[in-house]
Amino acid sequence: MKKKLIASVLIAATVLSATACGGNSDSTETGDSAQAGTGSSLFTGELEENVTIQVLENDTAISEGYFQELIDAFNEEYKDKGIQAVDANMDQYLDLANDGPYGYGPDVLYQANDIIMKYAQGKHILPLPVEEFDWYDQVPKSAWSAYETTVDGTTYTCGVPVNVQAPMLYYRKDLLPEDWESTWDENQDQIPDMVQTWSSLYEFSKARHSEDANTYGYMKSLNDMYFSSGFLFSYGAYIFGDNNTDPSDIGFAAGEAEKGAYVLSQLASAMNEDCIDDTITTNAYSKLGNGTYFATISTPDVYSTFLGELEKEYEEEGLSAEEAAKKAEENLVMTTLPMLPDSGDLTDESAELIQSVTMGGVNGYAISSYTKAPNACLEFVKFATSYEMVTLRAKMLGIAPAREDAAEEVGGTSALIYENLDAGNIILMPSISEVSQIWTPGQTFFIDLAKDVYRADSEKKYTDLESMKAGLTDMCQQIHEAITTLQ
Amino acid sequence: MNKKRERMKEFITHASGSVKLSAIIMGAGHFRYGSISKGLIYLLMEIAMIIYLIGRGFGDLKGFFTLGTQHADAWAGVKGDNSVVMMLMGIFAWIVVAAFLFFYVQNIRGAYAMQKRKEQGLLQKTLRKEFKELLDQKFYVLVLALPILGVCIFNVLPIIFMILIAFTNYGGNIVPPELVDWVGFDNFKKLMVLSKFGPTFVKILGWNLLWAVLSTALNYFAGLGLALLLNKECVKGKAIWRAFPILAYAIPGFITLLAFKFMFSYGGPINQIITANGGTAIGFLDLDAKWSARIIGLLVNCWISVPSIMLLATGHLSNRDASLYEAAKIDGAGRWAQFWKLTMPFMLFSTMPVLLGQFIGNFNNFGIFYFLRGGLYMDGYFLASDTDLLINWLYNLSIDNNYYCVGAAISLIIFFITSVISLVVYVKSPSYREEDTFQ
Repeated sequence: MKKKLIASVLIAATVLSATACGGNSDSTETGDSAQAGTGSSLFTGELEENVTIQVLENDTAISEGYFQELIDAFNEEYKDKGIQAVDANMDQYLDLANDGPYGYGPDVLYQANDIIMKYAQGKHILPLPVEEFDWYDQVPKSAWSAYETTVDGTTYTCGVPVNVQAPMLYYRKDLLPEDWESTWDENQDQIPDMVQTWSSLYEFSKARHSEDANTYGYMKSLNDMYFSSGFLFSYGAYIFGDNNTDPSDIGFAAGEAEKGAYVLSQLASAMNEDCIDDTITTNAYSKLGNGTYFATISTPDVYSTFLGELEKEYEEEGLSAEEAAKKAEENLVMTTLPMLPDSGDLTDESAELIQSVTMGGVNGYAISSYTKAPNACLEFVKFATSYEMVTLRAKMLGIAPAREDAAEEVGGTSALIYENLDAGNIILMPSISEVSQIWTPGQTFFIDLAKDVYRADSEKKYTDLESMKAGLTDMCQQIHEAITTLQ
Repeated sequence: MNKKRERMKEFITHASGSVKLSAIIMGAGHFRYGSISKGLIYLLMEIAMIIYLIGRGFGDLKGFFTLGTQHADAWAGVKGDNSVVMMLMGIFAWIVVAAFLFFYVQNIRGAYAMQKRKEQGLLQKTLRKEFKELLDQKFYVLVLALPILGVCIFNVLPIIFMILIAFTNYGGNIVPPELVDWVGFDNFKKLMVLSKFGPTFVKILGWNLLWAVLSTALNYFAGLGLALLLNKECVKGKAIWRAFPILAYAIPGFITLLAFKFMFSYGGPINQIITANGGTAIGFLDLDAKWSARIIGLLVNCWISVPSIMLLATGHLSNRDASLYEAAKIDGAGRWAQFWKLTMPFMLFSTMPVLLGQFIGNFNNFGIFYFLRGGLYMDGYFLASDTDLLINWLYNLSIDNNYYCVGAAISLIIFFITSVISLVVYVKSPSYREEDTFQ
């Protein structure tokens, strides 16, 4: 009897345990927002109240104090609605794709277009109703299209452009020849020829080096694809076809791209072997500071580093800190890139001049798909991209706004960069993931091109435009293989 | 095999009803023969397993095969399946099932053993007694249980995960929220069939093997030589001399590598000396520098690895039997003869496992050429340069290009190659064949 009792208790316990626990929770969840519809229909205009928005901002904006001013102003404005923006305090290299679905990551993020659009492919950031923005027309179409993605035949815009990054020419005014106004200003426009055309800069580089073997004119490592590819774009090359969206069409050899390679090769011949690896890129700040180099190219965000090196140099020469800072600011010039000869031959004096085209990027705001307060986030983005805030941002951080009105207000280099973007002279980094495959093949080609200048004549690979075209075609083939072979 | 069958037959005919009931209700036999607490543990285990299986185990096991069916759509608020997480949870479910089966068999065996003890008139082991055994005769089981669990979770699980990734299409455009699928041996087939892969694989493998052998030998003999030198009685201030290599060892490897990269760059001090003396700058590590880059790699690796070998050898050398050397000297053996006939066999015997470790480490030495000469794709190589080792190529393919599945397949091949070499070398080595020589 006792045995039977034990047995029945055991069976009952087992059966009970089997039936008592619930069914397997489905790994697929359909949240409330699913009913609300897809993408931008989440933006109903009804602000979520009493919410905190986590904002991931640019490191410089935080360290220079701009971000604090931004959130202070926003929080003051939306105090009565209980909406508060705070620093997400996260690493710039966050992984929204993996963290977002689990409730981690910022609500609003400020990053470069290629990073933001990487998230758009997996729908990790929301499409935004950007046409509603009253300043929509102030930003060039090319900047908006850097944030566009097409899903099921419909084009969505997933980010709001704020500032534009593009290579700029840095040079030292005090290193110009004393008589430059008579010898290096043919058109008498009070701007030295060598910062207006690459041909003059090349000529000046050779002259400066032959005068003193320890000094150079224009110096820049060729191995940096970001800077070097602009020379190819100027002669008709492009990154991907169909407005940078078709990775099956790789265009680094398109048009007369070989002329751009030829220009680079001529410029490399007026440098030294340091242009083959990244020596010049690393040394540029100090070498421009101590006068070894006359000019180089870099992005606008490193202006303060160049300025700091120059100040240091002047202080070493005996000037006070204040005088050195003033003199450095006077003499360090950052401007847009010089013009190119249409023939690609820097010694061809009869050539027509064409505009330099560069690779660039546009940083902006996006909203995470995993935010609980999309409308409040959109309000924050509208606030942060308003004329006042973008102008303040440009003034405090020295960035070039993507908004025309703000660029005009700030003037100087910012306005020049805007003009270049508007004129299509800045090719924005593609927003598709395949762009990650262009760097190493590109770098290898440009190293080879720079190395070739210093090879013995019998070993030279790039002796004419045809061989340069063939090298560029090989590079495109390599990028194509990297993208497609294992797909 | 026959023995097992007989034992099974015996169990079926001889086992009591309560023992057989243990196959359905765990712990039933233990209850029957008086071990209530142990029976209760088995019963709770079964209940916990049922709860786990219904709660998520069945789902995880199913997910392991399907790797997800619902595509995530964050815009529509559909969370969807994450194939990678599903695979991990699936592996975990299999481990739980395997552990449960182990306890399930133990439960039946235990119950049957208790039945036999009863039939023989022996006293049953109580839970307390078994716990006492765990603290005494079976102490090793208790001590090893936790580390083994740790190894399973932190080592075995990721390894199994990596192996399984090689059989999926994970990577490229197929990353979450896209769903991953099982593709069988497709990745391995790709490696073998693709015309671009084959030649690059063979070239890199050849250089990789040469690199592993040369660098291991160079490091080993340089380290041993340095230890022998500093072991000489005539050397004064040994502690100071030994401190220098330790300094090189103490600096993180990648910093050393970046420093060497700078030293050999066009703007580095070596080229500055050359140009200052009227020479032309040499591209020690640039794209034409196949062999000079390889040799610099070997030497820099030597710089980084020799100190550890020197320390190891210094320790082992102090254990040498001095009388053997005395006897050899009396027999007229010279220094070379003593080195080859006494020192080397002794050192090889005691350091063979370390040497194999060095070989594997060098075979998979990612840092050297990544830091010294990364970012180049050469003609004749598919997404690799002529100094890249298989591990660098794997990195180019899997991380730069996100082909995790192909990366996993290559790492399985690397694992196969290195384990075969290590096993063969070890089995043929004196450490294995003459285990008691120096004991």
